[in-house]
Amino acid sequence: MIDFSMYDVKAPKISGFRCEKCGSEYYPAPMICGKCNSRRDPVTGKGWVKFDLEGPCTLLTWTRVWNLPEGYTKKFLLFGIVQFENGLRASGRIELDEPKTGMKLTASVEESNERPGKPVKIFVFS
Amino acid sequence: MARVGIVGIGHTRFGNSSEYDLADVLAYAATDALKDAGFLEHRKEIDQVLVANMASGLLCHQSAVASAMVSRLDMEPVPAELVENGPASGASAVKLGYMAVASGMADVVLVVGGEIMRKVTGWLATDVVSTMLDTETEYNMGLTLPGFGGMFTRMYMEKYGLTERDLALLAVKNHDNGIKNKYAHIQATCTIEAIADGPEADVVNNYIAEPLRMYSTCPVSDGAAAVLLVNMDSPKAKLFAKKPVRIAGVASATDTHCVHNRKDPLQLNAVRIAAEKAYQMSGLTPKDISFAELHDAFSILEMAISEEVGFFERGKSYLAVRKGETAINGKMPINTSGGLKSKGHPVGGTGVSQVVELVRQLRGEAEEGRQVKDPKYGMSVNFGGFGNNVVAVICAKD
Repeated sequence: MIDFSMYDVKAPKISGFRCEKCGSEYYPAPMICGKCNSRRDPVTGKGWVKFDLEGPCTLLTWTRVWNLPEGYTKKFLLFGIVQFENGLRASGRIELDEPKTGMKLTASVEESNERPGKPVKIFVFS
Repeated sequence: MARVGIVGIGHTRFGNSSEYDLADVLAYAATDALKDAGFLEHRKEIDQVLVANMASGLLCHQSAVASAMVSRLDMEPVPAELVENGPASGASAVKLGYMAVASGMADVVLVVGGEIMRKVTGWLATDVVSTMLDTETEYNMGLTLPGFGGMFTRMYMEKYGLTERDLALLAVKNHDNGIKNKYAHIQATCTIEAIADGPEADVVNNYIAEPLRMYSTCPVSDGAAAVLLVNMDSPKAKLFAKKPVRIAGVASATDTHCVHNRKDPLQLNAVRIAAEKAYQMSGLTPKDISFAELHDAFSILEMAISEEVGFFERGKSYLAVRKGETAINGKMPINTSGGLKSKGHPVGGTGVSQVVELVRQLRGEAEEGRQVKDPKYGMSVNFGGFGNNVVAVICAKD
């Protein structure tokens, strides 16, 4: 993981998307709003509002994975699915020793360079 | 619409075929199917070849496998295309073959599905299979298919009371079938003492993605399977050595690509809808089905799918496993081949392999000890992604 507190750079963010026409929220971004059929232009983003997806959330389920794919050097990693207060859900890493379904967590975003190629943004629930 | 039947089947033994070329493994299964149908010498009269494969470009550094296989069989200029739909590629190819024949565009279609996964390390195979997940929201997080299997299992356990021992019982049942299947990858006895009750069970049956253990997870397999489809209403139908097994229903459906976006992640909507459509097409109900091949990449999926297709009430299938109702001599035998758990799971080949098992059972050609008594209808469910693309097939012995 990259510790952004050491540098004067903007912390990574993962975005949720809101359709301006009907207010429906999504993660990840759809091409067409499922409620009002508004199209999202992936270049200009016109008609859609991006917002940071982070903060308080509730753990819906979790697992500890022991057979990690190519690129990961840890013995195991914990993963979970959470629900945010706005109802959106996300999958990501858990940094806790003993998670329990239903527990309140806080979602933050980090950059991972564990795999080859460009770093990617990941959710960390703790 | 023309009636579509299966007149030839072929299957390699699943396991480690990594020293062989993918085109050879596919061609071997295809040759068996052609010989079974008595059509080997007439293979250039086939109207269409469909090859199902998920990831040969990544796993074997081989693309355009349909062209490679046709050439290996000396079948040029027969048209051949590749079908890729993740682990549901096989049944998707059967479905497309069905559509080609039923529509009248083709009278004879050869469908072959297969994968060589063991040329690469297990870590790389896990990574390649994970590429079917949503890139930004799942794959980039480090998630894998076993990871989703583990999270699904935990939700099911917490809601319905399933235990790890129930998952082990299902593995024992599938290994009991697989050990008798000449095509199965793992032909080894598995006892409940060894993997759940005994003092060494934690070591023998270690965690893969908690609460899923090794014996609740399918192996990484190489192998191929093939079926020859024919228009049963065409004069050509008389050219084949075997009586056709009719495809009575075939349908597929999709669900959200991201698992977290499902309103109730425990509901496998694509399974339910594909099954409902296949029942409607065949005029059958779950009560008519004699046996089934369900996609147990993780043991929990056999149970959850058996509920979605209507064999058992939601949350109750594990009670049926406890009572032996899904064993060979039970009320609803499931995964008579050994399932993905014991027979193996070469991802692009699994859907075709399931249909081969339906035909073997309906013909009465399964090995002693795993032949279902006088089956009339068999059903298969081939599960792509983590349930985001599913194909159901119903075959009938007329």
